[in-house]
Amino acid sequence: MRMRAITAAAVAGAAVLLMHEPAYALPTMIRLGYTDCASCHISPQGGGPLNTYGRGIDAAQSLSGGEYEPSPDTRLTHDVRLHMQEQGAWPTIGARTNVFRPRLMYRNVTTISNAFRVSGVVTAEGREAPRPGLGYDPAARSSTLFVNTALIHYRPNASIELAFGRDQLPTGVNVPDLAAYIKSRNRLGYYDAPTQVKLFWSAKRYHITPFAYAPGGNEPSGERESGGGSLAEVDLIGNQRLIGGMTIVRGTATRGDRRTVGAYARLGFGQWGILAEHDVTDRTRIEPVVASFRQTASYMQLFWAIREWLVASGIGEQLHVEAPFQEHLVAGKIEIAARLSPKATLVFATRIERNMRTGRLTPSVTAQAAFKTVR
Amino acid sequence: MKSRFAISIKGAIAVAAYLAAAAHAQSQAPADPAIVEVHGGTASFAVDTNVPAISVHGKSTALEAKLRLRQDAEGTVLEGIEAAVPVKTLGTGMGMRDEHMRKYVFTTSDGQLPDLRFSSDKAVCAKREAGQPSTCHVSGTLAIRGTPRPFAIDLKVTGGGETFRAVGDGAVSLSDYGIDRPSQLGVKTADEVKLRFDFTARQSTRAVATSGRK
Repeated sequence: MRMRAITAAAVAGAAVLLMHEPAYALPTMIRLGYTDCASCHISPQGGGPLNTYGRGIDAAQSLSGGEYEPSPDTRLTHDVRLHMQEQGAWPTIGARTNVFRPRLMYRNVTTISNAFRVSGVVTAEGREAPRPGLGYDPAARSSTLFVNTALIHYRPNASIELAFGRDQLPTGVNVPDLAAYIKSRNRLGYYDAPTQVKLFWSAKRYHITPFAYAPGGNEPSGERESGGGSLAEVDLIGNQRLIGGMTIVRGTATRGDRRTVGAYARLGFGQWGILAEHDVTDRTRIEPVVASFRQTASYMQLFWAIREWLVASGIGEQLHVEAPFQEHLVAGKIEIAARLSPKATLVFATRIERNMRTGRLTPSVTAQAAFKTVR
Repeated sequence: MKSRFAISIKGAIAVAAYLAAAAHAQSQAPADPAIVEVHGGTASFAVDTNVPAISVHGKSTALEAKLRLRQDAEGTVLEGIEAAVPVKTLGTGMGMRDEHMRKYVFTTSDGQLPDLRFSSDKAVCAKREAGQPSTCHVSGTLAIRGTPRPFAIDLKVTGGGETFRAVGDGAVSLSDYGIDRPSQLGVKTADEVKLRFDFTARQSTRAVATSGRK
């Protein structure tokens, strides 16, 4: 009973506190036929600074963006981003919470040669909203200074890139919301940055990313996981409108192993589209109890670009965890994201989560402002 | 009595045979052409770029067309085909890109923005079994930016009666029209642009008879 209560509180807390969107890649761009992140981001995984074309698209998709005038090419591409998020939650069981989470990020990509570059993302933040750990995952402490990404990239040609360093692992539909249940594969949430080597192999209709990883160094003792996996996706009918993909991950750590298989899809039809993912993870733990259990996470987002700069979404998701960490959460969310300019984005969201086991309802409202410099 | 009755039967059969023959002859005569119109048809395009993951898609739902349709021994004959797509109705989903497209692809040297126009004197659709789609090979002239060039497309036609649906794919080369491949921030389109047309045509009126049979 105590285990269940701890798990319920932890998952609900994590969902509330981690509803943080670092304005990473926008998979909703599938609506315009952008099948992968590499179209606009320097990193094929998405996130991080935009390439020149991406900055043009960023401006074109903004309310006041207009025409983008590229600066002369330099070896250094970098920006500073400030995210401020205010979130209030009113659970039917437990205390009301109100969290303000500011984050300041510095992102850098330095080109060394035509084939080599290095990239990094460093985040500075306050300590006032530490992330509670899940019953079956290690606790993650917030950090005043955290290196999210530090990678060396080698791109021998346009279709292949090899990256080595620390980063989040490649994920399926790649939504930016780290509180989404499908992001539970990131065991340390925002602070999940294992050391890894990954290969991005892209062609017109497919994209394959095998990877191997080792601990990032910020995991608790016994939770240092090593493993490997792959992501593979294909443009199913060849018109850049329907992407289907699968992910597999296998990780082992002293206190527990996991095997994840996931399927996902991105569909785009001009003004609207659908993002969907379903992940099944078989896990074993030896602490706090010896157990084998299955965790499933589902995500579905229907989005509609009311204007190019204004995108509304309806999101439904579900998380189910078997005993002894038994959990069943469903949530619905309505979100409106307004890209006012290439430098400023506002996001408003309202979400309601229901714990199907306890009946606890957790409505919440989030307002987020993100600002960045544009080189 | 019996013989008179037999004569009457023979006469009735003869009259029926004559009427049947006359009806058959009428059905074999060329029919008056029908005026067929298309309103709100879809014309879409797709073009690859030098970046594998980036293709540009666009469409208009303002395709208008008019033609004469008649049946003869060859099959369905389409005549006097005139079709147009206003350039301003073509969109790619991104306003800035649409502006660039109109400016760099469709605007003439004197600043005009002429519609895309297709014309063909005659096309014949292969005969088909009832309920089966028919293929119409349509060749004519497609004008882009006011420059006419030969263009041919196979339209797959389904339906019948006074309404039918046609779908067809084709391709044009920008270089044939003297249009430079658009380039933006390092992304440059291919020369070949794939086209797709999808529309429903409806018979509006009968044209003035041209067969001479009144």
